[in-house]
Amino acid sequence: MRKILLSVLLSAPLWVLGQGFQVNLQGQKQIGMAGAGSALALDEASVFYNPGAVSFLEKNSISAGVNPLLFKSAFQRTGSNVTEDVKNKIAPPFEFYAVWGPKSNRWKLGLGVYTPFGGLVDWGDNWSGKYALTSLNLKAIYVQPTLSVKITDQIGIGAGFVYNHGDVNLQRALPVNYPDGRSGKVTLDGTGKGYGWNAGIYIKTLSNVTFAIVHKSKVVTKLDGGSAQFDVPESLRTSFPAGNTFNAELPLPATTSLGIGIPLSKSTLLAFDASWVQWHIYQDLSFDYATNTSALADTKSARNYRDGSSFKLGINHQASDKLALRAGVGYAFSPVQDGYVTPEAPDADRYILSAGAGYAFTSKFEVNASFFFEDVKSRKQRNIETGLDGTFKTLVYAPGISLTYKW
Amino acid sequence: MVGEFQMKKYIYNSFFAAVILFAAACKPDIDTAVGTSAGQANFSKYIAVGNSLTSGFADGGLYLEGQKVAYPNLVAAQMATVGGGSFTSPFFTDAQANGSGYLNLSALVNGTPTLTNVTSNLAYRDAAGHLAKYTGEVQNLGIPGMRVDLAFAAPFGAANPYLERLLTDAQVGTVSYFQFIQGRNHTFFSLWLGNNDALGYATNGGVTTDATNVLTDKSTFALLYSNLVNSLTAGGQKGVVATIPDVTAIPYFNTVTIAALLNAAKAINPAAAAIYIQTGTGAVRAATADDLIRLPFQSSGLFGVPNASGLPYGLHPLNPIANNWVLDKDEIVKVKDYVLSYNSTIKSLADSKGLAIADTYTYLNQVKTGIVLQGVGINSGFITGGAFSLDGVHLTPRGNAVIANVFIDAINGKYGSNIPTVDITQYRGVKFPDK
Repeated sequence: MRKILLSVLLSAPLWVLGQGFQVNLQGQKQIGMAGAGSALALDEASVFYNPGAVSFLEKNSISAGVNPLLFKSAFQRTGSNVTEDVKNKIAPPFEFYAVWGPKSNRWKLGLGVYTPFGGLVDWGDNWSGKYALTSLNLKAIYVQPTLSVKITDQIGIGAGFVYNHGDVNLQRALPVNYPDGRSGKVTLDGTGKGYGWNAGIYIKTLSNVTFAIVHKSKVVTKLDGGSAQFDVPESLRTSFPAGNTFNAELPLPATTSLGIGIPLSKSTLLAFDASWVQWHIYQDLSFDYATNTSALADTKSARNYRDGSSFKLGINHQASDKLALRAGVGYAFSPVQDGYVTPEAPDADRYILSAGAGYAFTSKFEVNASFFFEDVKSRKQRNIETGLDGTFKTLVYAPGISLTYKW
Repeated sequence: MVGEFQMKKYIYNSFFAAVILFAAACKPDIDTAVGTSAGQANFSKYIAVGNSLTSGFADGGLYLEGQKVAYPNLVAAQMATVGGGSFTSPFFTDAQANGSGYLNLSALVNGTPTLTNVTSNLAYRDAAGHLAKYTGEVQNLGIPGMRVDLAFAAPFGAANPYLERLLTDAQVGTVSYFQFIQGRNHTFFSLWLGNNDALGYATNGGVTTDATNVLTDKSTFALLYSNLVNSLTAGGQKGVVATIPDVTAIPYFNTVTIAALLNAAKAINPAAAAIYIQTGTGAVRAATADDLIRLPFQSSGLFGVPNASGLPYGLHPLNPIANNWVLDKDEIVKVKDYVLSYNSTIKSLADSKGLAIADTYTYLNQVKTGIVLQGVGINSGFITGGAFSLDGVHLTPRGNAVIANVFIDAINGKYGSNIPTVDITQYRGVKFPDK
């Protein structure tokens, strides 16, 4: 007689990118210096840090590195004495760079393949925030061909085109119960692509102090036809049809950086980077399902990010012809406002500490290693959309290593 | 050269070993004081006094799964971290786990639910509806159907099977609930009673036929409730009392709406213009959105059925929906007024005794409009709302968890304790058929 409308069993699916998803791991030497180095023509990683500095590199080179990242986040629900931890899962941010140019010319070509954004959090299927999120695996892989030109002996400019391949897998529990009491589940899985650019200017003054201005554009990544799989009791199947798909947009923000490089001595370089991350483009997140039902409407969730920023100071000391030692400190301001913090990116302002070392086995072959640590401040939050109420605390550990061949 | 290489190798190896150890050791830590203090209260022996809600009654019956997640049981488990002792409940045995029997959602086709009775593994000991006796210590003293007025009526122990099963043969009919709950050496209590003093009248459509559906006189309520509170605090015990929810905050009265009935009628006969009801005064009139129809009407098989004169039930002034199915707008005003009076009694008595107040009246009014907790939307919608079970009155396990936190918050707020709250995500709503 009376139909029950399964009104909004779902609060909107969530998808949040924070500073937490900006992976500051793009070059082993720079990582050792807390991510500073846009004003240094240190190595082929300048393809990422400052395309303008690439033309100042003395050698052609190719390098590959990896920084296994352990994102250790903990949550304590407000009113509870239980602390819940994410599972130990290791995300593999990687970087590959190549730089080549005729020795006598003023230009160089570069190629970078790196992972500037990503996230891997798995809270398990039965934690107290499972209806907001159980796991997220997000990868953005940027491919960036680059041209850099030394305009004068003091000024280099460079620019690259960015192609992004994005992968997302997001899972959470649904508050509908099977006859045995267990909860339903939704898995959103998709790939997408986006385009952007990366350009920079490198200025070397007569005192050998260097300056950099770099802008990395936003990359709006479109996911079309991702799969939206709802595991629900069969009696709710008409509300959550099988084989559904979704479209969504993933706005990866622009970053503008100013850098200074100061040679303290013949063997010691100091680098400082200030970055402005233009997260304000992330105002809302919309999911457009191919099939809508009375229980499954398209969603538009407010995110209201503000811009984030970071300040990083690093030092590179050439201890001998072969051995270089590095260290860095930094601080980053979160773009996520109160009320919008989520378990995908339990974001807050953070401290950065790093150390690194490099060893040149020959004039052509070099190994660099780094250790990167972030202490994300404890943050007590009640999410406006999900009501998830508790304190997040996160520590990030990323050791890394890269191999370089130069000629 | 070789020496330097080995030294570097040593440095590298040490570096990575340190990294691994460091990462494993340095888990993020979140400090809290929660779960460390009972404040000014003593939870070593907690008793829960109340009605069906306290007993864990759900889906139209009392059964083991519901008993285990009754809000006092959830509260007691949380009290354990701050000095709470064991908490005993009159659980049905596993062999008789389905207790009195209960309603099951057996099908949901195009949004239309089919409810069927669970009839296996029941706990009846005779054909007269008596339940298997439970002997032994009982701290969850919730009795389905208990009222403030009937708590003082010894014969009710013979009439109510849930109280009867807890009494010895000699006590049946001679010991009142008020007497039964005494002498238990409790250090802390909860008291959530009085709902049925208003709800019994409301769920019978505002028609009084016997002692279970009379609207308890306001001053009688005040006198008897103060007797209960005085008895429970006679040894200086601390406790929490709860207010009585607005009867219109439950799905029982908000699911079969006049508009839904009219739409159903129009689907068959587009000329249908009004739903006719008989009010509490005996008058017959067209119903409005201010009149509430009881939930069981949808499965009563009455609506639209023609009488001997061929007039369809509920669709003609000469064959209206009977008074007992309808809580008409005047009856609603009356019952709301009584609930407000009861609550003012409860709150002033609690204040005078320094007791905590779990204001379920206010809380369930918020649930009626919808709240979101820990990623779960909860409202008073039937089946989909998550808080109310299939009888439209009593709570699901999730609803019990939410209410347990209302009690815990009230206790912590009053006594400076920090009992941890319940993780509501561990408790289910309505079970949906997987076919």
